[in-house]
Order: sequence, then C-alpha cells, then structure tokens
Amino acid sequence: MRIWTGTRAIAEAVKIADVDVIAAYPIRPYTGVMNELAKMISDGEFSAEIIVADSEHSQFEIAKHASAVGARTFVGSSGVGLLYAAEAITVTALAQLPVVALAGCRALDDPGNFGMEWNDTLVFRDFGWLVSWAKDAQEALDMTLVAYRVSEDRRVLLPQFVAVDGATITHIASPVTPPDERIEGFLPPYKPPYPLDPEYGPITKSQHIAPSLIGPEQRKVVDASVKRSREVIEEAWRDFGKRVGRSYPPFLETAYMDDAELAIVTMGAYTKDAVYVAKKLREEGERVGVVRLRYWRPYPAQELRELLEGVRGIAVLDFSYSFGSPDMGGAFYNELRAALYEANQKPLILDFLFTGGREPSVKHFREAVEITKRAVERGRPERLVYWPTLRGDDI
Amino acid sequence: MSLQPIRNPKELGPIDYYTSGHRTCAGCGPAIGYRLATKAAGPKTVLLGPTGCMYVANGHQFLTSPYAVPWFHTQLGGGGAAGIGTAAAFRALTSKGKRKREEVNVLVYGGDGGFADIGYAGLSMAMTYDYQRLLYILYDNESYANTGIQASSTTPWGATTTFTPTGRVRRIGNERMKKNVALTIAAHPGVRYVATSALYPPMDFVNKVRKAFNSGGPAFIQVLTPCPKGWFFDPKHTVTLSRLAVETGAWALWEYEEGAFSLTYKPPKRRGLAEYMRLQGRFTHLSDEDIERLDRMIEEQWGLWLESDRQKRLILSWTPPPTPL
Repeated sequence: MRIWTGTRAIAEAVKIADVDVIAAYPIRPYTGVMNELAKMISDGEFSAEIIVADSEHSQFEIAKHASAVGARTFVGSSGVGLLYAAEAITVTALAQLPVVALAGCRALDDPGNFGMEWNDTLVFRDFGWLVSWAKDAQEALDMTLVAYRVSEDRRVLLPQFVAVDGATITHIASPVTPPDERIEGFLPPYKPPYPLDPEYGPITKSQHIAPSLIGPEQRKVVDASVKRSREVIEEAWRDFGKRVGRSYPPFLETAYMDDAELAIVTMGAYTKDAVYVAKKLREEGERVGVVRLRYWRPYPAQELRELLEGVRGIAVLDFSYSFGSPDMGGAFYNELRAALYEANQKPLILDFLFTGGREPSVKHFREAVEITKRAVERGRPERLVYWPTLRGDDI
Repeated sequence: MSLQPIRNPKELGPIDYYTSGHRTCAGCGPAIGYRLATKAAGPKTVLLGPTGCMYVANGHQFLTSPYAVPWFHTQLGGGGAAGIGTAAAFRALTSKGKRKREEVNVLVYGGDGGFADIGYAGLSMAMTYDYQRLLYILYDNESYANTGIQASSTTPWGATTTFTPTGRVRRIGNERMKKNVALTIAAHPGVRYVATSALYPPMDFVNKVRKAFNSGGPAFIQVLTPCPKGWFFDPKHTVTLSRLAVETGAWALWEYEEGAFSLTYKPPKRRGLAEYMRLQGRFTHLSDEDIERLDRMIEEQWGLWLESDRQKRLILSWTPPPTPL
C-alpha cells in the first residue's frame, strides 16, 4: 500500500500501461499528473515521448495524431483548458482514436476559480467520448487502466475521459494499492485497425466529404460504438476484478439502496460524504440510500430506472449548472430526470447545486435529504432547485 | 537514408503520390505544389493536411482520394501539433521495439491560414523540438481560398479580398503588409533548415523538400502558389505568375541552412513589378503610382537580400508601411 494523490495514482496507471506518447500543458488541478510523469520518464522508470505543448489545443492534437499512428497516448486538462482543446477533442472521437485523458474537474472562468465544478467535463457529453468518474485515488488508478482496455477494444475505439474531482481527488493523498504483476495480460498492445503508417499502405483518413454520401451514417457508427462499449466495460471490470482482486460494479455503485425511500444520487469524491450522511440518517431511522454513477458516457439510464423506480424522492448532489436551463439545474440533474421520465412510478427529483467551486459539507447534504423528505411528505416539491452553499437569498 | 538531390526531372520517376481523384480548380497552384513535394518526399511519407482549400478540394464529392501515401486531416490550427504527435509516435514505437526501425517522412502541408494565422503558435512549438524527417510546408496562396477568398496575414498590401474589399472610402483593399513567415521561423534557435520556394523553377522546390528532410531537425518551407480563384487570373498563367513573382523580385527564393543564409535565385535584371501585378484581378484598383511605390520598396528589400547573401547571414529590414496616396 502507498499514500498517493489522485494525480500520482493516475500517473502510476499510465506507467503500468506503458504509454508511448504524452502531451502536457499546465493548468491546475490536473497538472500534477504531468509533473509525476515527467519525473518518472526523467528517472528512466519507463520510456515515452513527453511533449511540452504550446496549448491545450496542441496537446490534444498531438495525442490524436500519435494515436493514429498506433501509439498509446495520454493527455489531460482542467477547466477552461479543456474547453480550449474542444476542437481537437471533437475530432479525436469522430476519428475513433482511443486517446485516454484525465479531466481534473475545475470551475470555469471568469472569474478565475480553483474550486471544483463538473461543467468542464460534462460539456463533453455530446462529443462521443466515454466518460468515467472516479471517487478516489485508488479507483482513479484502476479506472485509467480499464479505460485503455475499453477504449482500444475493436468493438469500441473511442477516446475516454477519466474524470476526477479537482483538489478533492487530484490533490488529496490517500492509501492506494497498485496492481502487481497479475495485471499482465489485462492490457494487450494497442493495434489500430488502420494505422497511419506507410508500412501498412496508403489510407486517407477524415477527408472532406459530401453530407449526401456519408453524414448521419458516420454519426450513427460512433453512437453504436458508444453503445457497444457497455458490454466491453462490463467484461473489462469483471476481468480486472479477477486479476487484481478488487471488484467494482461497472456502472452504478450503491449503498443502503435495498429498501430506500429516499436516494442521494451523485458522482465523484463527495460520494463518501453522502454515504456517511446516509449512514447517520439510517441510525435515526430514515430509509436513505446512495447511488453513484461511475460512467457518465455511456449513460446508465436503464440501471438507474430499475434502481430508482420505487424510490419516492431523490436528492441530486450536482456540481454542474446550466444558466437558464429548464428548471435551472445542471446537466447532471436534467439527464437523470430524462432517464426517469419513462419510469412507472416517478420519484420527486430535487437538485442541490454546488456550483461556483465552493466546498460543501455533510451539513449541506443532510439538509438536502431533509428538504427532499419534506417534499415527499407533502407530495409535491416547493421548488426543484436549491443552492445550499449560496450566501444571501436564493432568488 | 538520405534523399539525393535531383538534377534532372526524370530522376524523380513516373510515380505520383498526389495523383488523380481531387477536384481542385483549373490552374490550381497549390495542387502543383502538392504534386512536386510528394514526388520529392517519396513513398515512405505520412502526409498531414490542416483544413484549407486543399482539404476541401481533395475529397468531398465521390469519396475519392488523391493521396497514394497515408494521409490524415488535422484541424486548421493543429498542423504544428499533428506533425509533432505523428513524429513522436514513430520515435516512441521504434525506440521501444514496437515498430520496425525504418525512417518515415512526416510532411505537414498547410495553407497560409493554417500556418501564418491560427496554427502559427503550434508551428513555432514544432520548431523547438528535435524530431527528424519532419517538414512543414506552407503553401502560400495569400488568402483563405476555400471560404470565398478572405485575407490572411500573408495577403499582400493592396490585394482585394472579401474581408478587405475596395470601396468608396477604402481605396486600397488590404492595408496590412504581408507577414514573412519563413523569416520568423528562421528566428528559432537551432532550426536546421528554412526556405522559401515557388512553382518556378520546379527543381528548386523539389530539392529544397529533399534537403529539408535530410536536415536532421524539423524544417520549414514557404512555397508561393498562385491561386486563379483568389488572384483573379486566367488559369493558364499559374506557372507564368510563379515565374514573374520570382523574376520581378516580389518573391525572393532563399534558404537558411544551419544558420547560413543564401539566395537560391538572383534575378540578373529584375523585371518591373507591374508585369506581375497587372496580370492579376486583385490589384486592378491600384494606381500606377501605387505599383511604382511597391516596386521601389522591393528594390530596397533586394539590397538587403543581396547583402544577406554576401554575408551568409540574415539581415532584417524595417519597411515603412505604404500609405495610400
């Protein structure tokens, strides 16, 4: 067992995966992962080309093009840096290149803000990237290894974000057990079907085309890959559990959900606080459970429906926000509501927004459950969206 | 494996790596450049193309491809990074024993929009690395030619484009001076090879491409390629205009090899600029006085080019921007 920060844990996974090309550009809080990798490579712990890029746009283009040749690649960013790379991020998925990137979630500018928010990563829900969401450093390491396995699978061939909550995971050191030699064989070498290499003959990739020839068909192919990734993800985690002895449910992690009347739904690092709150409330006789999404794409809509159909009220712990959105909640909230629209018994779903990077505490999560409980007892919510950490009036 | 200089065009052989299957305009200068450069680079080449007219025109209609070597698109601002990523992948895979040892040329072929404007920072980044057999060619047709001829930072003073039209108040069209990208690339310490070229004389371009790949570091060539659509001339004049650009001195052919500057063509007697400009519709609104003034600017610039050639080192000029009469 080691004591590692989240960024260090992910760097260890990149080393274990024997990544070939890494592209770095600094922005807090993701930067630490590149600091670690640069030092590892300088010390000869493993060999890779590490490019110090001139921007996030270049960073993601470098990874994309190295991947096209057949290299295993790693990249990452945070906050507005990720958005600066958005163009390159788009084409990486649409060219079906299995780049793996760390998204170290951070509030978007302006003003500059080092707090944690999900908007930087959730923006990419519509881009064709798989998005997995770790809750601690150990899972971030394991998730990175599984990300390469899933993304490089011929049935998938899509890039993937391993999202970790900024500061709370990237910068906090916690016990991590790296996998030992049992991992060997888990990650076969990456062999692209059509490498951009004269040795394999000429291919023309991503040329300009008329929409009348290939337009919606190509989009459908990418969509089908995202959907196919579901079975590959399940297989990969099963195999990982067998080899390493650490098992994870593939899509949803739950606590106290068997007879739950109220549920807290969230992702990421604050799941642990939510479980703590649920435990305390259980001791007080409240039937509260916790559901955590481990993947944002592919979205586990079916699993969520099955799990939450009988629940009466849901408190969403949401670190995303969409200004002026329907019901004024974030993408996280609205997708959950959309997923449960087809449920036979629809629970009340309330959004608790932790936006602007201000850190919440268990007090806020407890309040969230209490507000949800009152809404259920009344049979209707007073309002749908709350800003628990806001100072002053919530108007 | 170094690429030998070509003395006779026949030595290039009959095989084209940029061939049929494109739909560029009649008289397309960039297409001629593509053909020459890929022929010079040979089959062990990966070709990368930032968005531009040569992206839009080289595919699209019937899912055909003119590329007989591996080709991949890169975003308009991604050319510099794409070359680095591709070269890094080859170096990593060969050094780690995941790919056989064999040299591959990486040729990133972008327009002035891609390399003088949006992708300039990435190009500059590339010039600070040490990847070998990595060549960036800027085909300079002096505008964004696939979007309806908009000005770029290499559009010359006085040219009309849809973003710099002449009008009742603005008589001149483009009032910015053409950015000399090749000179700025030569300012990168340690850069091995930088050159300018044109479609005439063709072997000058071919041999510069081969020299660039042999140079031992990332290299850069800016090749002037007339564009019938953007410069408004009869398609039969593409090579004539390349020749006139060189012989009037409007475009100087030079190379910068490990710090040593030399002109690769010195006009014995410089032809008057009017001959070059009056063939092009984008300059028709300019007065004879305007052109004479530009001619005098070129004369002064050539003093410096010749002195640089004599001293074998670059002397930068400061040119006052011409103001309309």
